[in-house]
Amino acid sequence: MMATGNIWRRGLFSAASLMIMGASAALATAGAARAADSEIVVARAMDLNSLDPARAYCDTCQIYLSAVYDTLLTLAPDNKTIVPDLATSWEVSPDVTTFTFHLNPAATFSDGTPVTATDVQWSLERLKNIKGGAAYLMDSLKSIDIKDPHTLVITTKTPNSEFLGILSATYVGIINSKLAMAHGANDADTASTTDTADTWFLSHSAGSGAFTLQSYKADDALRLKRNASYWGKKAQVSGVIIKQTADAVTQAQMLQSGAADIAMQIDPDTAKTIHDANIVFTTVPSYNYVYAAFSPIAKGSPVPLTHDVREAMALAIDYKGAIDFTVGGAGNLQPSAIPNGFPGTADLPAPVTDVAKAKALLAKAGYPNGFKIGLEFPAMDVYGIDISLLAQKLQQDLAKINVSLVLKPETFNVWAGDIDSPGVPFTIGFFAPDYFGSAQYAQYFGMMAGMPWGKRAGVGTTPGLDGAAELATFNKALAAAGPAQEAAYKEIGLQMIADKIILPIVSPDLVLAYAKDISGMRYSACCNLPLAEIVKH
Amino acid sequence: MLRVILKRLILMPFLILGIVTATFVLAQFTKGNPLISIIGARALDNPDIVAAAKARWGLDKSVPQRYLIYVDNLAHGDLGTSFRTKQPVLDDLADRLPATLELVICAMIVGAVTGILLGVISAQFRDTPADHAARLFALLGSCVPMFWLGLLALFVFSVQTHLLPGPGRLDIRSDPPNTVTGFMLIDTLLAGDWDGFVDAFRHLILPSLVLGWSVTGIVARMVRASMLDVLGQDFVTMARAKGAGEGRVLFNHALRNALIPALTILGFTFAYLITGSVLVETIFSWPGIGSYAVDAARSLDYPAITGVTIVGGLGFLIANLLTDIAYAAVDPRMRSAA
Repeated sequence: MMATGNIWRRGLFSAASLMIMGASAALATAGAARAADSEIVVARAMDLNSLDPARAYCDTCQIYLSAVYDTLLTLAPDNKTIVPDLATSWEVSPDVTTFTFHLNPAATFSDGTPVTATDVQWSLERLKNIKGGAAYLMDSLKSIDIKDPHTLVITTKTPNSEFLGILSATYVGIINSKLAMAHGANDADTASTTDTADTWFLSHSAGSGAFTLQSYKADDALRLKRNASYWGKKAQVSGVIIKQTADAVTQAQMLQSGAADIAMQIDPDTAKTIHDANIVFTTVPSYNYVYAAFSPIAKGSPVPLTHDVREAMALAIDYKGAIDFTVGGAGNLQPSAIPNGFPGTADLPAPVTDVAKAKALLAKAGYPNGFKIGLEFPAMDVYGIDISLLAQKLQQDLAKINVSLVLKPETFNVWAGDIDSPGVPFTIGFFAPDYFGSAQYAQYFGMMAGMPWGKRAGVGTTPGLDGAAELATFNKALAAAGPAQEAAYKEIGLQMIADKIILPIVSPDLVLAYAKDISGMRYSACCNLPLAEIVKH
Repeated sequence: MLRVILKRLILMPFLILGIVTATFVLAQFTKGNPLISIIGARALDNPDIVAAAKARWGLDKSVPQRYLIYVDNLAHGDLGTSFRTKQPVLDDLADRLPATLELVICAMIVGAVTGILLGVISAQFRDTPADHAARLFALLGSCVPMFWLGLLALFVFSVQTHLLPGPGRLDIRSDPPNTVTGFMLIDTLLAGDWDGFVDAFRHLILPSLVLGWSVTGIVARMVRASMLDVLGQDFVTMARAKGAGEGRVLFNHALRNALIPALTILGFTFAYLITGSVLVETIFSWPGIGSYAVDAARSLDYPAITGVTIVGGLGFLIANLLTDIAYAAVDPRMRSAA
């Protein structure tokens, strides 16, 4: 008994001693940084669904793909002009259906293999046939003819003045076809079920970009290293580590402690609380936005969501107040579903708040005492906006016209499924561009038959939403260029405003937070954060 | 005792199969669409893309067919491929489980040692300032939200004073050692990387203390209550009457008996923390199984959900078994009863 007691006591004291010794050792080495060169660390909540260009579809995917896979064309820093990347020059036929590209003969993949027209053809056809999230970008692809190893002609089914913009999307990255095929990739019509390369892409890259994949561990870190034999201007940093950091406050703390060099998901409110001379905050307008939307044909609405009802609810929303409430004023009003700065958005009328008119419209629609309706939304933070908070703001605003919102927060997966089937009468959603161009918005939000929100709104059955006029304008925009294209998209924008199906609420500014020894930071409409331009001094 | 252990081990596969069946069936009836994690929300209205994804991931088959395929694969050691990470679930778990175990073991050591000490002090000095202070400390451990405590700890010790490193298991800029066990402390030592070991140890301190404090709260209150009960019993009075020193009375006689209920709590807390340490893992960017479980549930990643459930179930079963063995070690009556 005595011996056992001593063991207990010794055990306790030993454990305590070990802890104290351990803590002492830790404190003794406190602040000792391990080896670091010009490698940079980006703290970010990664939403990667794949590292395969044909399967990836997410914000972080854009950062990764633009760093590792060059595209035929890319977007200039002005976020408007299409400039050469792998293609040095190109010609477009007058009917905007035939696109001839001349590849840079100096372009090589990271293993030294030249980039050829065959690789381009293979990559584009694979993107189409894999049927991943970004496959819609190749919807208009009809054929690709190879004229010589550095010249190819792409034909689209219908006129597509946005095809050059589409080719600058990061998902259209050009892959080393021989290398990928050796690891299970293919571009056949059956690729969606026969291509088995997605696991290989998780540990290897096959691009011609400024970086190559070093390693990826899901939910931990994505490591890129500089492509030492890059054919273009070499990256300024030796490597990039994107560290999974789910929480925005933790991202800020990592930046403050020096554990990270860049954080780009810090919300404006958190940014205001940080006063550190070693950290630079740059706020830039983004092309991302959060919107409210109606599905007049969805079951569950207590009243028909007629145009008058939709307009009344739209007029009751305090848009400026919503920007103050959700992002502390660091955002912009957005008139239509096409984001500010994209073709056709100049001089569109900003959304207005008019509670008296809203009440009158509601009375005219037969609901002077209002009604109660559900608002289903994804309960998550996106672009620095807490959507639950925005839902509460809408609840307060609509209460002013006696429309009582019953908030129904859901996980993203449940919400995204519900808005398609069975449908949600009133919801909140969000959107970010895949490339610079307005067609993607017309195709997603336009009141046209077959388009996602057109279907949800009941184009063809809902009064006032016949879809024909908007489709004609859209086709006109796709066949036009310059001012004519701008005018056509403006017409679509105005129609979207008049439809009162999609109500953009907040276009939040993007907070780029980084250490003061970092330069070259910018936000890109196609690539999110172009890593190759970043310099660590 | 050996017979009890063997009986438990034989029953374990059947219990796991029951857990797998229940999880599999419940997951199928959960609201939401798992395809969103695979193809993204935007492609959901494209029937070609949806059909291709369903065929590729086996979601075009009926639930009973999928269940039979899953069980067959499970029997061959295949837990399927995660919809979200696109990697075999077994590999995902093998990556993440050691990270969580390393954290939870350290937190349990912190929580058990401090909890037992505080419980003993609290009982011995009942209703004195020492008792009140110990109880307050324990209470705070139980009720202060871990995410807040984690953020505060990072702010004070990492951002302001630079005494300890920030989130992660190692300095993100350093090269991790070759994975042998997955335990960073062990792998750095096996690699002969002393700096790496110190770095890994330093990264463990804050999350272990934060997670351990919650264990402290539970254990201290349990030990205090048990100690108060035991200290009032005749054998303690007898020990004192025979002239045993107070330390010997406390640790040899009283604590040993008072520890029995605490062992149950420790066993179940350990098993719970394997999948329940998600908040600390999130705040400290710790790539463990808790955050994996939450992400799997959010994205309706059926193979990952079932894989995590198997690990969680096994954790509880093993913890239960170890608790019984520990009971027997502490209490001779249990040995004879077994």
